[in-house]
Amino acid sequence: MSASRFKIASLIACIAVGAVVLSQVCWAGLANRFIQKTAFKGKHDILISFAAPVDKDWALNKANFRVYEEPDPDIKLPISKISLGPDNKSLILHFDEELNQSQPHVVVIKNIRSRGKNLGTAMVKAKKLYLGFLFSIFIGAMLIHNFVFTKYLGLCVFFGTSQKRSTAVGMGVTFTIVMVASAMMSWFLYQFVLKPFHLDYLQIIVFIGLVSLSVQAVDTILRKVNPILFKAFGVYLVLVIANCIILAVPLILADNEYNAAESFMLALGAGLGFLVALFLMSSVRERLELANVPPTYRGLPIAFVVAGLFALAFLGFSGMSIF
Amino acid sequence: MDPTLVKMALGGLALLGCIGLFFGIGLALAAHKFSVEVNPKVEEVKEVLAGAQ
Repeated sequence: MSASRFKIASLIACIAVGAVVLSQVCWAGLANRFIQKTAFKGKHDILISFAAPVDKDWALNKANFRVYEEPDPDIKLPISKISLGPDNKSLILHFDEELNQSQPHVVVIKNIRSRGKNLGTAMVKAKKLYLGFLFSIFIGAMLIHNFVFTKYLGLCVFFGTSQKRSTAVGMGVTFTIVMVASAMMSWFLYQFVLKPFHLDYLQIIVFIGLVSLSVQAVDTILRKVNPILFKAFGVYLVLVIANCIILAVPLILADNEYNAAESFMLALGAGLGFLVALFLMSSVRERLELANVPPTYRGLPIAFVVAGLFALAFLGFSGMSIF
Repeated sequence: MDPTLVKMALGGLALLGCIGLFFGIGLALAAHKFSVEVNPKVEEVKEVLAGAQ
């Protein structure tokens, strides 16, 4: 009898605790959900926007806001001024010092008051758009700093394989696969072997070895696993070793101290950029076969002229920045 | 010569040797595992043909 009573009592206690926890979660969620966006705005400001208008006297009180960088919660950043948007739905926190935007900033907003009602305390984070940053690396490597047209790398393979469209696409796809594989390997080796042992000065030799290793590995495996694909790609695989883009990418990501995701995006962007360049060039060169080109310009000279025109066109992307 | 430099160079040599050995064994294993049988007669015929190109 007493045992069953104990069971019932513990059940009720459990339900009560659960309800309290749930209501707390909902309460915090309510306050957090009331804040729609927290973002950096310029170098000195953080923008916060709310779902509904907030009370003006509450919003302009600096004591209601607490801002710190995520790794150091005890260093409070002094707010110099608060300005409220015209519809009272957004406010901007101004800081005298420049914000270190590479760190996420935590904003604690106390007792949010909207239309006289207290909505509780919210804790939100302002951080740089990380996916946007990755995307900008990708687009940057592919178009803005296209390796062929703005850095003039990998030209020998570029001119060698851009005579036919099918050849060009095959080469581009093979190149992208090998590029991503070897860039990830060289990122790993650089971060976890070369840097800890202070052997950064050997990076070029190690990266050359890695490129030939990945080409050889892809060659061996593809020959067995997918002979049809091997027949299509086999010729270009060897050419990939002779490409300087495949060496430039590991050097760039070692220089910029990229992490794994950023390295992946850079490698993918570089590979697809090369594919785009090859595709554009081969399309033009197929048309050039039919054109009436002066005899001295036939073949490689006119290809160089066309590549120069493409480079001029890609100059239009320069100076662009995304996010 | 500065002993730290010698140490660094020797360390680099040893480490790169290890990396090379590791990947070399890996490639050899891969080549063994993914080996493709080639008809030996292909080579013989190629030997007999005039190999100007």
